Amino acid sequence: MTAFITRRTLQASGVLVVVSFIGFLLFTFTGDPVASILGLDATPADRDALRGRLGLDDPFILRYLTYALNAAQGEFGISYATARPVEEVIVERLPATIELAAVAVLFSLAIGIPLGVYTALNRDRWLARFVMTVSIVGVSLPTFVVGILLIFLFAVGLGWLPSFGRGEVVKLGWWSTGLLTVSGLKALIMPALSLAIAQSALVARLVRAEMIEVLRADFIKFARARGLRNRAVHFHHALRNTMIPIVTVTGIQLGFLFAFSIVAEAVFQWPGMGLLFLQSLGKTDVPVMSAFLILVAFFFVIINLAVDLLYMVIDPRLRIRHEIAEGVAGS
Amino acid sequence: MNIKQLIAGTAVGCVLGLAVAGAAQAQTLRYAAAAPVLTMDPHATNDFVSQMVISQIYDPLVAVNADLELVSGLAESWEHLGGLKWRFTLRQGVKFHGGQDFSAEDVAFSIERAKTSRFFTAFVGKISSVDIIDSHTVEITTDDPDPLLPRKMSNAFIMSKSWAEENGADEVPDLGAEGSEVFSVRNANGTGLYMLQEREPSVRTVLARNPNYWGEATGNVQEAIYTPIGSGPTRVAALLSGEIDLVADLPLQDIPRVDGADGLMVQQRPQLINIQLELDGSRDVALDVWDKDGNVLTVNPLKDVRVRKAFAQAINVDLIVDRVMRGNAAVAGSAAVPGTGGYYADLDDHWAYDVEAAKGLLAEAGYPDGFQVQLNCPLERYVNAEDICKAVAPMLAQIGVDVRVKGMVWPEFAKLLVNGPDSSFHLIGAGPNGQDTQDTFVDTMMTRVPDIKQGFFNWALWSNDEFDEIATEIQQTFDEARREELYRRGLTLGRENVHAIYLHRQVITWGLRDNITATIRPDATVPLETVVIQ
Repeated sequence: MTAFITRRTLQASGVLVVVSFIGFLLFTFTGDPVASILGLDATPADRDALRGRLGLDDPFILRYLTYALNAAQGEFGISYATARPVEEVIVERLPATIELAAVAVLFSLAIGIPLGVYTALNRDRWLARFVMTVSIVGVSLPTFVVGILLIFLFAVGLGWLPSFGRGEVVKLGWWSTGLLTVSGLKALIMPALSLAIAQSALVARLVRAEMIEVLRADFIKFARARGLRNRAVHFHHALRNTMIPIVTVTGIQLGFLFAFSIVAEAVFQWPGMGLLFLQSLGKTDVPVMSAFLILVAFFFVIINLAVDLLYMVIDPRLRIRHEIAEGVAGS
Repeated sequence: MNIKQLIAGTAVGCVLGLAVAGAAQAQTLRYAAAAPVLTMDPHATNDFVSQMVISQIYDPLVAVNADLELVSGLAESWEHLGGLKWRFTLRQGVKFHGGQDFSAEDVAFSIERAKTSRFFTAFVGKISSVDIIDSHTVEITTDDPDPLLPRKMSNAFIMSKSWAEENGADEVPDLGAEGSEVFSVRNANGTGLYMLQEREPSVRTVLARNPNYWGEATGNVQEAIYTPIGSGPTRVAALLSGEIDLVADLPLQDIPRVDGADGLMVQQRPQLINIQLELDGSRDVALDVWDKDGNVLTVNPLKDVRVRKAFAQAINVDLIVDRVMRGNAAVAGSAAVPGTGGYYADLDDHWAYDVEAAKGLLAEAGYPDGFQVQLNCPLERYVNAEDICKAVAPMLAQIGVDVRVKGMVWPEFAKLLVNGPDSSFHLIGAGPNGQDTQDTFVDTMMTRVPDIKQGFFNWALWSNDEFDEIATEIQQTFDEARREELYRRGLTLGRENVHAIYLHRQVITWGLRDNITATIRPDATVPLETVVIQ
């Protein structure tokens, strides 16, 4: 077990090193940062001076090592566009994205699981078929289309929800939360929903497939034979046993939502990491872009690690197989 | 979770919220545009939106009104003392928002501070000294005689010296700098009509009216909230749903929708910028030019005036304005733009559209069959830039010139220009830096000598000796009559020799509530001091 964790952690750090290197390459290949910082209005002398100050003339390896060392300590340099330390800018934006991603996952489970269960239990009803068809539409609708449709329905048409922003936020230390105010909660609904729709369709299909599988299993038949009520069979026995893959997928989803909330954030002017990334892209603010990449990779790696470990805990067969493999390797 | 209940519940909350907000909103202006405000430091950026908000908080010595005419700012009056010297007499009894008294010390400090910023060399770079004569008089000496100094001073904002020093903000925040954020990035202390009340970077910037403002203002806005909303449809939705009162950059396709909506209106004004096609004016061998068979040409057809005229006459600019710009642009025919010093309407005639004449000119120049050329085209930054380039291609094809449009994102395009310039044919926007055509002459039309910043934006290397003489003379000419002569001569030369093919001037488009009276300033700023909310 420890060997397994160590190995996975090593692999994870390998991934991070590679990503940090790619992130660093951005500095070299995304157009000349000097040209975009200074604009068209700068003499060659001005540009050379800035190149020197930013250390762009140092040897490549030296620059990368400096960058990686600083990044490992959580320092990502100074944002070109705002002249503020990148890590400060990111910390400011992180809570918004995490709250959005978390609520979107909750939404997708809240919508997806009941739909999945319903369609699995009532496979032949027209409503179930209809739901399955609609879910295909849900999966294929791009987030920005859903977002704009929601805005025109709930903000422009009905005037119920705000079309942009995060509403009022409450500061808890460095964390800013929109979950404690009415306007913050209202602002959260549409962005989270637009992210959740595609995901909930996915969850629904997954739950349905698993559930159908589980319902065929022997222990369900025995449960029925024991005279348990349908309700108990479906929810206590069947649904519970479908939850293992759902948990795994949800974890990975969280990572995806974190990384790909860019679109929803752009549509709803949600002041999170994704919007920050887009704004930085427009300004060729390379330090921020690189830091974003590394952070997303970090997030993915952590989630995958957690999911792997969780898998071992949940599924004893995996654990045993590893122990055997290690035992053989060790002898 | 029951979504229906959730929505119904929040709807009730929303109605209550609106009722409360409605009362407090009497004279609050909530305005929005695509870009965020980057910093509060008045000398740290030339980013347009940042400067727009900063200029409400900080005052310059010489201000501009809604028509960009010079009016007194923190300086009551100014006079040219002859030669290199100008004297500015400062306003008495002005206080900064933080309570500090405004004096000549602050002026000297702020100009020196701005001089260290790479973004303000065009305005204060040639000031050699600022001498404090007494607490309310300064004399500014320049390296060369400068008739436009007052105009330039309208871009230099005055900061409190003692405030900056107390808070360690005496230096402009710089990129390579170590350590933490400079105080002035998030805090502001000016003398302007509005004070910075609250700032959440990239989310919102709240300005509150300064009760001790030194001047008078016609506007009645007590509180202004600037919110960046990057996505066009969302920005429009926020306007339609009543969450925003004024959108300062309404997307063209949404004009009819906003115009037709109840309680909203659209307002437009031409921007101080010419969208133009620049043609290589002096290289012996043009870049990216081929004959019809695709062999590289070893000459520069583009510097021949006949070819330039042929291009100008083959492009149907009315069609571009009508179709590509959907009527939201004005045809341009001179390097000077309306609303700036040195603009003359009688010189602003676009070349006549005449394909036959263009073919004749091309044949005369020795290219009866035409040739192929690459058009470098920035994909963003200008309204519908890519579509304009794509419209130009078939128009030039009519006279046998095959255009290969190369679209580039702005950073790539900028790199092509500043690291070279390496373009012989491109689309670009050009306007005077300091709202006077003299800047256009010196910065974009004179022969390019980057080291002395002459012709610095002359990316297509146009060069004309007679023009250079005019541009040199006008920089040192204080006499108005002589200046007019020089402006006219220079603009005529530019047009006759097709310095560039001036296409059109895009318009600034606002969508706003119809209970708001406001004037669009031609530099695209929202001048809060003139905004009246009924």
